[in-house]
Amino acid sequence: MFSDLNAQKDGSSLLCCPTSDDQGPIFERASLSYIPLFERYRVGERSFSRQYAHIYAARLMQMRPLLAERAQQKWGPEVLIRKLCELQTGEQCCIVGTLFKRMDLQPSILKEISEEHNLLPQPARAKYISEADELILEDELQRIKLQGKIDRDKCVTGSVIAIYGAERNDGKFTVEDLCTADLPLQTARPTLSSDRFVLLASGLGLGSSHADSMLSLQLLVDMVTGQLGDQGEQSRSATISRVLLAGNLLSQCTQDKDASTKAKYLTKKTQAGSVDAIRLLDELLLQLSSVPVDVMPGQYDPTNYTLPQQPLHSCMFPLSSVYPTLQLASNPYQANIDGVRFLGTSGQNVCDIQRYSSMDSHLQILEETLRLRHLAPTTPDTLGCYPFYQKDPFILEECPHVYFSGNAPTFESKLFKGADGQEVLLVTVPEFSSTQTVCLLNLRTLECEPISFAAFSANDDEESEMNISH
Amino acid sequence: MTTKRGLITDSFKVVKRAKRGGKREKAPPSPLPQKDAETVREEDLQQLIQFDLDWRFGPCTGISRLQRWERAKHHGLNPPEEIRDLLLQTHADPKYKLSLWSEYPL
Repeated sequence: MFSDLNAQKDGSSLLCCPTSDDQGPIFERASLSYIPLFERYRVGERSFSRQYAHIYAARLMQMRPLLAERAQQKWGPEVLIRKLCELQTGEQCCIVGTLFKRMDLQPSILKEISEEHNLLPQPARAKYISEADELILEDELQRIKLQGKIDRDKCVTGSVIAIYGAERNDGKFTVEDLCTADLPLQTARPTLSSDRFVLLASGLGLGSSHADSMLSLQLLVDMVTGQLGDQGEQSRSATISRVLLAGNLLSQCTQDKDASTKAKYLTKKTQAGSVDAIRLLDELLLQLSSVPVDVMPGQYDPTNYTLPQQPLHSCMFPLSSVYPTLQLASNPYQANIDGVRFLGTSGQNVCDIQRYSSMDSHLQILEETLRLRHLAPTTPDTLGCYPFYQKDPFILEECPHVYFSGNAPTFESKLFKGADGQEVLLVTVPEFSSTQTVCLLNLRTLECEPISFAAFSANDDEESEMNISH
Repeated sequence: MTTKRGLITDSFKVVKRAKRGGKREKAPPSPLPQKDAETVREEDLQQLIQFDLDWRFGPCTGISRLQRWERAKHHGLNPPEEIRDLLLQTHADPKYKLSLWSEYPL
Protein backbone atom coordinates (compact mmCIF):
# COMPACT_ATOMS: atom_id res chain seq x y z
CA MET A 1 0.00 0.00 0.00
CA PHE A 2 0.82 3.63 -0.19
CA SER A 3 2.56 4.08 3.16
CA ASP A 4 4.62 0.87 3.02
CA LEU A 5 6.22 1.86 -0.21
CA ASN A 6 7.00 5.26 1.18
CA ALA A 7 8.84 3.75 4.09
CA GLN A 8 11.11 1.65 1.91
CA LYS A 9 12.91 4.73 0.70
CA ASP A 10 15.47 5.90 3.18
CA GLY A 11 14.82 9.57 2.65
CA SER A 12 18.45 10.36 1.90
CA SER A 13 17.64 12.71 -0.91
CA LEU A 14 16.54 15.28 1.62
CA LEU A 15 19.76 15.27 3.58
CA CYS A 16 22.31 15.32 0.79
CA CYS A 17 23.63 18.28 -1.12
CA PRO A 18 21.49 19.42 -4.02
CA THR A 19 22.72 18.07 -7.30
CA SER A 20 24.42 20.45 -9.66
CA ASP A 21 21.40 20.91 -11.85
CA ASP A 22 18.78 22.22 -9.49
CA GLN A 23 16.05 20.69 -11.58
CA GLY A 24 15.06 17.56 -9.67
CA PRO A 25 13.38 14.56 -11.24
CA ILE A 26 9.89 15.21 -12.52
CA PHE A 27 7.15 12.79 -11.66
CA GLU A 28 4.25 12.69 -14.08
CA ARG A 29 0.97 12.48 -12.27
CA ALA A 30 -0.87 9.33 -13.19
CA SER A 31 -3.93 10.22 -15.17
CA LEU A 32 -6.99 8.12 -15.53
CA SER A 33 -10.19 7.99 -17.44
CA TYR A 34 -13.07 9.69 -15.77
CA ILE A 35 -16.74 9.62 -16.66
CA PRO A 36 -19.02 11.65 -14.42
CA LEU A 37 -22.36 9.92 -14.02
CA PHE A 38 -24.22 12.31 -11.79
CA GLU A 39 -26.54 13.58 -14.49
CA ARG A 40 -29.30 11.61 -12.82
CA TYR A 41 -28.94 13.71 -9.69
CA ARG A 42 -29.39 16.96 -11.57
CA VAL A 43 -32.63 18.74 -10.98
CA GLY A 44 -33.43 20.90 -13.97
CA GLU A 45 -36.86 22.34 -13.59
CA ARG A 46 -37.56 22.91 -9.92
CA SER A 47 -41.18 22.77 -9.07
CA PHE A 48 -42.16 22.43 -5.46
CA SER A 49 -45.90 22.40 -6.07
CA ARG A 50 -46.12 18.65 -5.70
CA GLN A 51 -46.67 16.51 -2.68
CA TYR A 52 -44.32 13.77 -1.63
CA ALA A 53 -46.89 11.06 -2.32
CA HIS A 54 -45.41 10.81 -5.80
CA ILE A 55 -41.95 9.82 -4.69
CA TYR A 56 -43.32 7.02 -2.53
CA ALA A 57 -45.59 5.89 -5.36
CA ALA A 58 -42.73 5.96 -7.88
CA ARG A 59 -40.47 4.14 -5.42
CA LEU A 60 -43.00 1.36 -4.92
CA MET A 61 -43.68 1.13 -8.66
CA GLN A 62 -39.98 0.79 -9.35
CA MET A 63 -39.24 -1.65 -6.54
CA ARG A 64 -42.29 -3.91 -6.79
CA PRO A 65 -41.10 -6.00 -9.77
CA LEU A 66 -37.62 -6.32 -8.26
CA LEU A 67 -38.99 -7.46 -4.93
CA ALA A 68 -41.48 -9.84 -6.49
CA GLU A 69 -38.57 -11.49 -8.25
CA ARG A 70 -36.52 -11.67 -5.05
CA ALA A 71 -39.48 -13.08 -3.15
CA GLN A 72 -39.89 -15.83 -5.72
CA GLN A 73 -36.20 -16.62 -5.49
CA LYS A 74 -36.36 -16.81 -1.73
CA TRP A 75 -39.69 -18.48 -1.03
CA GLY A 76 -40.12 -20.47 -4.21
CA PRO A 77 -41.85 -19.58 -7.49
CA GLU A 78 -45.26 -20.60 -6.13
CA VAL A 79 -45.28 -18.00 -3.41
CA LEU A 80 -48.51 -16.05 -3.25
CA ILE A 81 -47.83 -12.35 -3.74
CA ARG A 82 -50.82 -10.38 -2.53
CA LYS A 83 -51.83 -6.77 -2.35
CA LEU A 84 -53.09 -5.68 1.03
CA CYS A 85 -56.64 -5.28 -0.30
CA GLU A 86 -56.73 -8.94 -1.31
CA LEU A 87 -55.41 -10.16 2.02
CA GLN A 88 -57.37 -12.90 3.78
CA THR A 89 -57.02 -13.68 7.43
CA GLY A 90 -54.81 -16.66 8.11
CA GLU A 91 -53.54 -17.06 4.56
CA GLN A 92 -49.78 -17.47 4.16
CA CYS A 93 -48.64 -14.96 1.59
CA CYS A 94 -46.06 -12.40 0.63
CA ILE A 95 -46.67 -8.67 0.54
CA VAL A 96 -44.55 -5.99 -1.08
CA GLY A 97 -44.81 -2.58 0.46
CA THR A 98 -43.18 0.48 1.94
CA LEU A 99 -42.31 0.40 5.61
CA PHE A 100 -43.47 3.13 7.87
CA LYS A 101 -42.27 3.36 11.46
CA ARG A 102 -44.59 5.27 13.71
CA MET A 103 -42.36 6.93 16.27
CA ASP A 104 -43.51 8.85 19.30
CA LEU A 105 -40.23 10.67 19.62
CA GLN A 106 -39.99 11.76 16.02
CA PRO A 107 -39.93 15.55 15.97
CA SER A 108 -43.04 16.97 14.42
CA ILE A 109 -43.74 20.57 13.67
CA LEU A 110 -47.46 20.09 14.26
CA LYS A 111 -46.78 18.66 17.68
CA GLU A 112 -44.52 21.57 18.48
CA ILE A 113 -47.14 24.10 17.50
CA SER A 114 -49.97 22.44 19.37
CA GLU A 115 -47.96 21.92 22.49
CA GLU A 116 -46.04 25.13 22.64
CA HIS A 117 -48.38 26.65 25.16
CA ASN A 118 -48.09 24.15 27.94
CA LEU A 119 -45.06 21.97 27.45
CA LEU A 120 -41.34 22.33 27.76
CA PRO A 121 -39.37 21.99 24.57
CA GLN A 122 -38.17 18.46 23.93
CA PRO A 123 -34.50 17.91 24.67
CA ALA A 124 -32.34 17.32 21.65
CA ARG A 125 -31.86 13.59 21.16
CA ALA A 126 -29.26 11.51 19.44
CA LYS A 127 -31.80 8.81 18.64
CA TYR A 128 -35.54 8.96 18.19
CA ILE A 129 -36.36 5.28 18.63
CA SER A 130 -38.40 4.10 21.58
CA GLU A 131 -40.14 0.99 22.89
CA ALA A 132 -43.50 2.28 21.71
CA ASP A 133 -42.53 2.40 18.04
CA GLU A 134 -44.75 0.52 15.63
CA LEU A 135 -43.96 -0.85 12.23
CA ILE A 136 -46.56 -0.47 9.52
CA LEU A 137 -46.42 -1.73 5.95
CA GLU A 138 -48.12 0.31 3.27
CA ASP A 139 -48.93 -0.49 -0.31
CA GLU A 140 -50.81 1.64 -2.84
CA LEU A 141 -54.09 1.49 -0.97
CA GLN A 142 -53.81 0.22 2.55
CA ARG A 143 -51.58 -0.27 5.52
CA ILE A 144 -51.20 -3.01 8.08
CA LYS A 145 -49.41 -3.21 11.40
CA LEU A 146 -46.56 -5.66 11.59
CA GLN A 147 -45.42 -7.98 14.34
CA GLY A 148 -43.32 -11.10 14.57
CA LYS A 149 -39.88 -11.72 13.18
CA ILE A 150 -38.93 -8.28 12.06
CA ASP A 151 -36.36 -6.13 13.80
CA ARG A 152 -38.37 -3.06 14.58
CA ASP A 153 -35.51 -0.85 15.69
CA LYS A 154 -33.33 -1.64 12.72
CA CYS A 155 -35.95 -0.80 10.11
CA VAL A 156 -36.48 2.70 8.87
CA THR A 157 -39.39 4.47 7.27
CA GLY A 158 -39.43 4.46 3.49
CA SER A 159 -37.66 1.17 2.83
CA VAL A 160 -39.47 -1.03 0.36
CA ILE A 161 -39.38 -4.67 1.40
CA ALA A 162 -41.26 -7.94 0.86
CA ILE A 163 -42.59 -9.75 3.91
CA TYR A 164 -43.80 -13.30 4.25
CA GLY A 165 -46.36 -14.41 6.81
CA ALA A 166 -50.06 -14.25 7.54
CA GLU A 167 -52.62 -11.89 8.94
CA ARG A 168 -53.88 -12.91 12.37
CA ASN A 169 -57.31 -12.36 13.81
CA ASP A 170 -56.23 -9.23 15.61
CA GLY A 171 -55.70 -7.49 12.27
CA LYS A 172 -51.93 -7.49 12.55
CA PHE A 173 -49.66 -9.21 10.11
CA THR A 174 -47.30 -11.73 11.64
CA VAL A 175 -44.02 -11.63 9.78
CA GLU A 176 -42.14 -14.89 9.45
CA ASP A 177 -39.49 -13.78 7.05
CA LEU A 178 -38.61 -10.76 4.98
CA CYS A 179 -36.50 -9.98 1.98
CA THR A 180 -35.01 -6.83 0.54
CA ALA A 181 -34.29 -5.88 -3.06
CA ASP A 182 -30.60 -6.60 -2.47
CA LEU A 183 -27.76 -5.50 -4.72
CA PRO A 184 -28.26 -4.89 -8.41
CA LEU A 185 -25.93 -6.53 -10.88
CA GLN A 186 -22.39 -5.29 -11.22
CA THR A 187 -20.28 -4.79 -14.31
CA ALA A 188 -16.83 -6.30 -14.04
CA ARG A 189 -13.99 -4.09 -12.97
CA PRO A 190 -11.10 -3.84 -15.43
CA THR A 191 -7.73 -5.04 -14.16
CA LEU A 192 -5.30 -2.17 -13.88
CA SER A 193 -1.62 -2.55 -14.53
CA SER A 194 -0.33 -0.19 -11.86
CA ASP A 195 -1.33 1.23 -8.50
CA ARG A 196 -3.35 4.36 -8.82
CA PHE A 197 -4.93 6.08 -5.91
CA VAL A 198 -8.00 8.16 -5.27
CA LEU A 199 -7.91 10.26 -2.15
CA LEU A 200 -11.18 10.63 -0.28
CA ALA A 201 -11.63 13.39 2.26
CA SER A 202 -14.64 14.99 3.84
CA GLY A 203 -15.63 17.51 6.46
CA LEU A 204 -12.79 19.98 5.96
CA GLY A 205 -14.76 22.37 8.15
CA LEU A 206 -13.27 25.60 6.84
CA GLY A 207 -14.28 28.78 8.54
CA SER A 208 -14.70 27.29 12.00
CA SER A 209 -13.68 29.42 14.95
CA HIS A 210 -10.96 27.03 16.09
CA ALA A 211 -8.56 26.35 13.27
CA ASP A 212 -7.08 23.16 14.72
CA SER A 213 -7.05 21.32 11.47
CA MET A 214 -5.53 24.04 9.31
CA LEU A 215 -1.99 22.76 9.71
CA SER A 216 -3.10 19.25 8.92
CA LEU A 217 -5.02 20.51 5.93
CA GLN A 218 -1.95 22.27 4.60
CA LEU A 219 0.07 19.11 5.13
CA LEU A 220 -2.53 17.19 3.19
CA VAL A 221 -2.39 19.63 0.31
CA ASP A 222 1.41 19.53 0.31
CA MET A 223 1.39 15.76 0.36
CA VAL A 224 -0.97 15.55 -2.60
CA THR A 225 0.85 18.16 -4.64
CA GLY A 226 4.19 16.51 -3.95
CA GLN A 227 5.75 19.23 -1.87
CA LEU A 228 6.34 17.00 1.09
CA GLY A 229 9.02 14.45 1.75
CA ASP A 230 11.79 13.20 -0.45
CA GLN A 231 11.78 11.92 -4.00
CA GLY A 232 10.38 8.54 -3.02
CA GLU A 233 7.40 10.14 -1.39
CA GLN A 234 6.98 12.56 -4.24
CA SER A 235 6.90 9.75 -6.75
CA ARG A 236 4.22 8.08 -4.67
CA SER A 237 2.23 11.31 -4.50
CA ALA A 238 2.20 11.33 -8.27
CA THR A 239 0.12 8.16 -8.17
CA ILE A 240 -2.69 10.00 -6.42
CA SER A 241 -4.65 10.66 -9.52
CA ARG A 242 -7.83 12.08 -8.13
CA VAL A 243 -9.04 13.85 -5.00
CA LEU A 244 -12.63 13.57 -3.90
CA LEU A 245 -13.91 16.00 -1.29
CA ALA A 246 -17.08 14.53 0.12
CA GLY A 247 -19.00 17.41 1.55
CA ASN A 248 -18.99 19.78 4.50
CA LEU A 249 -16.12 21.77 3.12
CA LEU A 250 -17.37 24.60 5.27
CA SER A 251 -17.90 24.34 8.97
CA GLN A 252 -21.29 24.44 10.61
CA CYS A 253 -20.24 27.76 12.21
CA THR A 254 -20.46 29.49 8.85
CA GLN A 255 -24.21 28.99 8.92
CA ASP A 256 -24.90 31.47 11.68
CA LYS A 257 -28.48 32.53 11.74
CA ASP A 258 -27.70 36.00 13.07
CA ALA A 259 -28.81 37.66 9.89
CA SER A 260 -32.32 36.32 10.22
CA THR A 261 -32.79 36.78 13.95
CA LYS A 262 -31.12 40.13 14.56
CA ALA A 263 -32.37 43.51 13.49
CA LYS A 264 -31.31 44.41 10.00
CA TYR A 265 -29.47 47.60 10.93
CA LEU A 266 -27.22 45.56 13.23
CA THR A 267 -26.20 43.02 10.63
CA LYS A 268 -26.07 45.30 7.61
CA LYS A 269 -22.31 45.61 7.63
CA THR A 270 -21.47 42.09 8.78
CA GLN A 271 -20.45 39.58 6.20
CA ALA A 272 -21.75 36.04 6.16
CA GLY A 273 -19.24 33.63 7.68
CA SER A 274 -19.32 31.51 4.59
CA VAL A 275 -17.79 34.23 2.40
CA ASP A 276 -14.38 33.98 4.01
CA ALA A 277 -14.56 30.23 4.20
CA ILE A 278 -15.37 29.91 0.52
CA ARG A 279 -12.45 32.19 -0.29
CA LEU A 280 -10.22 29.91 1.77
CA LEU A 281 -11.58 26.91 -0.05
CA ASP A 282 -10.96 28.60 -3.38
CA GLU A 283 -7.31 29.13 -2.45
CA LEU A 284 -7.04 25.55 -1.28
CA LEU A 285 -8.47 24.26 -4.54
CA LEU A 286 -6.10 26.50 -6.43
CA GLN A 287 -3.19 24.80 -4.69
CA LEU A 288 -4.68 21.44 -5.57
CA SER A 289 -5.19 22.39 -9.21
CA SER A 290 -2.39 20.08 -10.37
CA VAL A 291 -4.58 17.10 -9.60
CA PRO A 292 -8.20 16.51 -10.65
CA VAL A 293 -10.49 17.35 -7.76
CA ASP A 294 -14.14 16.48 -7.33
CA VAL A 295 -15.99 18.76 -4.95
CA MET A 296 -19.23 17.46 -3.52
CA PRO A 297 -21.42 19.71 -1.43
CA GLY A 298 -22.51 18.65 2.04
CA GLN A 299 -24.99 19.58 4.70
CA TYR A 300 -23.35 22.89 5.60
CA ASP A 301 -22.22 23.98 2.17
CA PRO A 302 -23.76 26.89 0.28
CA THR A 303 -26.05 25.03 -2.09
CA ASN A 304 -29.57 23.69 -1.84
CA TYR A 305 -30.38 21.80 1.36
CA THR A 306 -32.58 19.08 -0.08
CA LEU A 307 -31.10 15.98 -1.64
CA PRO A 308 -29.90 15.67 -4.33
CA GLN A 309 -27.68 18.64 -3.61
CA GLN A 310 -26.67 20.42 -6.76
CA PRO A 311 -23.01 21.20 -7.49
CA LEU A 312 -21.60 24.32 -5.89
CA HIS A 313 -21.65 27.20 -8.33
CA SER A 314 -18.38 27.90 -10.09
CA CYS A 315 -18.73 31.64 -9.51
CA MET A 316 -17.81 30.97 -5.90
CA PHE A 317 -14.36 29.83 -7.02
CA PRO A 318 -12.94 32.61 -9.19
CA LEU A 319 -9.35 31.38 -8.75
CA SER A 320 -9.67 27.64 -9.07
CA SER A 321 -12.60 27.29 -11.45
CA VAL A 322 -10.44 28.36 -14.40
CA TYR A 323 -8.60 25.06 -14.15
CA PRO A 324 -10.18 22.12 -15.94
CA THR A 325 -9.15 19.86 -13.07
CA LEU A 326 -11.86 21.22 -10.80
CA GLN A 327 -15.04 19.23 -11.08
CA LEU A 328 -17.99 20.51 -9.10
CA ALA A 329 -20.11 17.46 -8.46
CA SER A 330 -23.48 16.77 -6.98
CA ASN A 331 -24.33 14.95 -3.78
CA PRO A 332 -24.98 11.98 -4.21
CA TYR A 333 -21.91 11.48 -6.33
CA GLN A 334 -21.57 8.91 -9.02
CA ALA A 335 -18.69 8.51 -11.44
CA ASN A 336 -16.67 5.98 -13.29
CA ILE A 337 -12.99 6.38 -12.46
CA ASP A 338 -10.79 4.13 -14.56
CA GLY A 339 -13.63 1.67 -14.87
CA VAL A 340 -14.23 1.63 -11.13
CA ARG A 341 -17.70 2.82 -10.34
CA PHE A 342 -17.93 5.20 -7.40
CA LEU A 343 -21.12 6.02 -5.62
CA GLY A 344 -21.40 7.98 -2.44
CA THR A 345 -22.90 10.77 -0.46
CA SER A 346 -21.70 13.38 1.98
CA GLY A 347 -23.24 11.40 4.80
CA GLN A 348 -26.63 13.00 5.43
CA ASN A 349 -28.48 9.83 4.52
CA VAL A 350 -26.37 7.72 6.86
CA CYS A 351 -26.61 10.16 9.77
CA ASP A 352 -30.36 10.31 9.35
CA ILE A 353 -30.73 6.53 9.45
CA GLN A 354 -28.50 6.51 12.51
CA ARG A 355 -30.91 8.84 14.30
CA TYR A 356 -34.01 6.85 13.39
CA SER A 357 -32.77 3.28 13.88
CA SER A 358 -30.78 1.26 16.36
CA MET A 359 -27.83 1.00 14.00
CA ASP A 360 -24.83 3.05 15.05
CA SER A 361 -21.99 2.07 12.81
CA HIS A 362 -21.87 4.07 9.60
CA LEU A 363 -20.42 1.04 7.87
CA GLN A 364 -23.36 -1.13 8.91
CA ILE A 365 -25.81 1.50 7.69
CA LEU A 366 -24.02 1.70 4.35
CA GLU A 367 -24.33 -2.05 4.02
CA GLU A 368 -28.00 -1.92 4.94
CA THR A 369 -28.80 0.75 2.34
CA LEU A 370 -27.01 -1.35 -0.24
CA ARG A 371 -29.19 -4.33 0.67
CA LEU A 372 -32.29 -2.17 0.45
CA ARG A 373 -31.05 -1.00 -2.93
CA HIS A 374 -31.82 2.53 -1.88
CA LEU A 375 -29.38 5.33 -1.12
CA ALA A 376 -31.60 7.25 1.25
CA PRO A 377 -34.76 5.44 2.33
CA THR A 378 -35.62 8.06 4.93
CA THR A 379 -36.16 10.70 2.27
CA PRO A 380 -38.58 12.47 2.22
CA ASP A 381 -39.77 11.56 5.71
CA THR A 382 -36.97 12.86 7.87
CA LEU A 383 -34.43 13.96 5.29
CA GLY A 384 -35.03 16.78 2.83
CA CYS A 385 -35.53 15.70 -0.73
CA TYR A 386 -36.74 17.21 -3.98
CA PRO A 387 -40.34 16.14 -4.77
CA PHE A 388 -39.62 13.80 -7.65
CA TYR A 389 -42.57 12.24 -9.40
CA GLN A 390 -41.40 10.24 -12.41
CA LYS A 391 -38.88 8.09 -10.64
CA ASP A 392 -36.87 7.88 -7.48
CA PRO A 393 -33.25 8.56 -8.45
CA PHE A 394 -31.96 7.16 -5.16
CA ILE A 395 -32.75 3.60 -6.14
CA LEU A 396 -29.53 1.92 -7.25
CA GLU A 397 -29.69 0.77 -10.83
CA GLU A 398 -26.19 -0.57 -11.09
CA CYS A 399 -24.01 -1.90 -8.32
CA PRO A 400 -21.06 0.38 -7.56
CA HIS A 401 -17.55 -0.91 -6.88
CA VAL A 402 -16.89 1.70 -4.25
CA TYR A 403 -19.71 2.92 -2.04
CA PHE A 404 -18.79 5.64 0.41
CA SER A 405 -20.31 8.14 2.75
CA GLY A 406 -18.65 11.21 4.13
CA ASN A 407 -18.47 12.92 7.51
CA ALA A 408 -18.26 9.74 9.53
CA PRO A 409 -16.81 9.82 13.06
CA THR A 410 -14.06 7.34 12.17
CA PHE A 411 -12.55 5.66 9.17
CA GLU A 412 -13.90 2.21 8.44
CA SER A 413 -13.83 0.10 5.34
CA LYS A 414 -14.97 -3.35 4.39
CA LEU A 415 -15.26 -5.46 1.29
CA PHE A 416 -18.87 -6.51 0.96
CA LYS A 417 -19.71 -9.50 -1.19
CA GLY A 418 -23.12 -9.79 -2.77
CA ALA A 419 -25.06 -12.93 -3.60
CA ASP A 420 -24.43 -12.63 -7.33
CA GLY A 421 -20.69 -12.19 -7.04
CA GLN A 422 -20.76 -8.43 -6.58
CA GLU A 423 -17.85 -6.98 -4.67
CA VAL A 424 -18.35 -3.58 -3.17
CA LEU A 425 -15.85 -1.69 -1.08
CA LEU A 426 -17.70 0.19 1.62
CA VAL A 427 -15.84 3.20 2.95
CA THR A 428 -16.83 5.68 5.61
CA VAL A 429 -14.75 8.78 5.03
CA PRO A 430 -13.91 10.42 8.37
CA GLU A 431 -14.57 14.04 9.06
CA PHE A 432 -11.26 15.78 8.52
CA SER A 433 -11.74 18.65 10.93
CA SER A 434 -12.09 16.33 13.92
CA THR A 435 -9.95 13.35 12.92
CA GLN A 436 -7.37 14.91 10.55
CA THR A 437 -7.68 11.69 8.60
CA VAL A 438 -8.28 11.05 4.94
CA CYS A 439 -8.37 7.77 3.08
CA LEU A 440 -6.50 6.57 0.05
CA LEU A 441 -8.12 4.06 -2.19
CA ASN A 442 -6.10 1.88 -4.49
CA LEU A 443 -8.01 1.48 -7.73
CA ARG A 444 -6.06 -1.63 -8.69
CA THR A 445 -6.63 -3.68 -5.55
CA LEU A 446 -9.70 -1.88 -4.17
CA GLU A 447 -8.03 -1.51 -0.82
CA CYS A 448 -8.43 1.51 1.30
CA GLU A 449 -6.21 2.85 4.04
CA PRO A 450 -6.43 5.89 6.27
CA ILE A 451 -3.76 8.56 6.33
CA SER A 452 -3.64 10.72 9.39
CA PHE A 453 -2.24 14.21 9.46
CA ALA A 454 -2.71 14.65 13.17
CA ALA A 455 1.00 14.59 13.93
CA PHE A 456 0.55 17.72 15.95
CA SER A 457 -2.20 16.91 18.33
CA ALA A 458 -4.92 19.43 18.73
CA ASN A 459 -4.26 19.50 22.48
CA ASP A 460 -0.80 20.81 21.97
CA ASP A 461 -1.29 24.54 22.35
CA GLU A 462 1.85 25.60 20.61
CA GLU A 463 1.10 23.71 17.46
CA SER A 464 -2.56 24.42 17.19
CA GLU A 465 -1.94 28.12 17.34
CA MET A 466 0.37 27.94 14.37
CA ASN A 467 -0.99 30.03 11.61
CA ILE A 468 -0.72 28.63 8.16
CA SER A 469 -1.25 31.48 5.82
CA HIS A 470 -0.86 31.21 2.17
CA MET B 1 -86.93 42.59 16.64
CA THR B 2 -86.25 44.12 13.29
CA THR B 3 -83.10 42.04 12.84
CA LYS B 4 -85.07 38.80 13.11
CA ARG B 5 -87.30 39.75 10.24
CA GLY B 6 -84.42 40.30 7.86
CA LEU B 7 -83.43 36.92 6.40
CA ILE B 8 -79.71 36.32 6.54
CA THR B 9 -79.85 33.94 3.59
CA ASP B 10 -81.12 36.61 1.26
CA SER B 11 -77.81 37.60 -0.14
CA PHE B 12 -76.50 34.03 -0.50
CA LYS B 13 -79.69 32.72 -2.06
CA VAL B 14 -79.53 35.24 -4.81
CA VAL B 15 -75.97 34.33 -5.78
CA LYS B 16 -76.54 30.58 -5.78
CA ARG B 17 -79.82 30.64 -7.63
CA ALA B 18 -78.55 33.01 -10.23
CA LYS B 19 -75.64 30.69 -11.00
CA ARG B 20 -77.65 27.49 -11.26
CA GLY B 21 -80.47 29.14 -13.10
CA GLY B 22 -78.09 30.64 -15.60
CA LYS B 23 -76.61 27.27 -16.44
CA ARG B 24 -79.95 25.61 -16.88
CA GLU B 25 -81.19 28.37 -19.05
CA LYS B 26 -78.15 28.17 -21.26
CA ALA B 27 -78.35 24.45 -21.89
CA PRO B 28 -81.85 24.10 -23.45
CA PRO B 29 -81.58 26.65 -26.27
CA SER B 30 -78.24 25.27 -27.57
CA PRO B 31 -78.69 23.71 -31.02
CA LEU B 32 -78.26 19.96 -31.58
CA PRO B 33 -74.79 19.76 -33.25
CA GLN B 34 -73.27 21.83 -30.46
CA LYS B 35 -74.86 19.51 -27.95
CA ASP B 36 -73.11 16.59 -29.62
CA ALA B 37 -69.74 18.27 -29.22
CA GLU B 38 -70.66 18.89 -25.65
CA THR B 39 -71.50 15.26 -25.01
CA VAL B 40 -68.28 14.10 -26.67
CA ARG B 41 -66.40 16.44 -24.40
CA GLU B 42 -68.33 15.16 -21.43
CA GLU B 43 -67.48 11.58 -22.32
CA ASP B 44 -63.83 12.40 -22.83
CA LEU B 45 -63.63 14.16 -19.52
CA GLN B 46 -65.41 11.27 -17.86
CA GLN B 47 -62.83 8.92 -19.30
CA LEU B 48 -60.02 11.10 -18.05
CA ILE B 49 -61.57 11.30 -14.61
CA GLN B 50 -61.71 7.51 -14.56
CA PHE B 51 -58.01 7.52 -15.41
CA ASP B 52 -57.36 9.96 -12.56
CA LEU B 53 -59.19 7.72 -10.16
CA ASP B 54 -57.29 4.57 -11.13
CA TRP B 55 -55.10 3.99 -8.09
CA ARG B 56 -52.67 1.72 -9.92
CA PHE B 57 -51.06 4.68 -11.65
CA GLY B 58 -50.24 6.54 -8.45
CA PRO B 59 -51.34 9.87 -7.08
CA CYS B 60 -52.72 12.38 -9.59
CA THR B 61 -52.43 15.72 -7.82
CA GLY B 62 -49.72 18.21 -8.66
CA ILE B 63 -48.74 16.71 -12.01
CA SER B 64 -50.38 16.81 -15.40
CA ARG B 65 -52.31 13.83 -16.71
CA LEU B 66 -49.76 13.25 -19.43
CA GLN B 67 -46.92 13.19 -16.89
CA ARG B 68 -48.86 10.66 -14.86
CA TRP B 69 -49.52 8.59 -17.94
CA GLU B 70 -45.83 8.64 -18.86
CA ARG B 71 -44.81 7.62 -15.36
CA ALA B 72 -47.17 4.67 -15.48
CA LYS B 73 -45.81 3.71 -18.90
CA HIS B 74 -42.22 4.04 -17.66
CA HIS B 75 -42.90 1.64 -14.82
CA GLY B 76 -44.62 -0.87 -17.08
CA LEU B 77 -48.13 -0.46 -15.74
CA ASN B 78 -49.77 -0.40 -19.19
CA PRO B 79 -51.89 2.73 -19.00
CA PRO B 80 -54.57 2.89 -21.73
CA GLU B 81 -53.22 4.25 -25.01
CA GLU B 82 -56.42 6.11 -25.85
CA ILE B 83 -55.87 8.33 -22.82
CA ARG B 84 -52.55 9.42 -24.24
CA ASP B 85 -54.00 10.09 -27.68
CA LEU B 86 -56.78 12.09 -26.16
CA LEU B 87 -54.35 14.11 -24.05
CA LEU B 88 -52.05 14.81 -26.99
CA GLN B 89 -54.96 16.06 -29.08
CA THR B 90 -56.24 18.40 -26.46
CA HIS B 91 -53.10 19.42 -24.59
CA ALA B 92 -53.94 23.13 -24.66
CA ASP B 93 -57.13 22.82 -22.66
CA PRO B 94 -56.45 22.86 -18.91
CA LYS B 95 -59.65 20.88 -18.35
CA TYR B 96 -58.01 18.01 -20.18
CA LYS B 97 -54.42 18.61 -19.17
CA LEU B 98 -54.78 18.76 -15.41
CA SER B 99 -56.22 16.24 -13.04
CA LEU B 100 -59.60 16.21 -11.44
CA TRP B 101 -58.32 17.79 -8.24
CA SER B 102 -56.11 20.44 -9.84
CA GLU B 103 -58.30 23.34 -8.68
CA TYR B 104 -57.90 22.38 -5.06
CA PRO B 105 -54.99 23.88 -3.18
CA LEU B 106 -52.38 21.37 -2.04
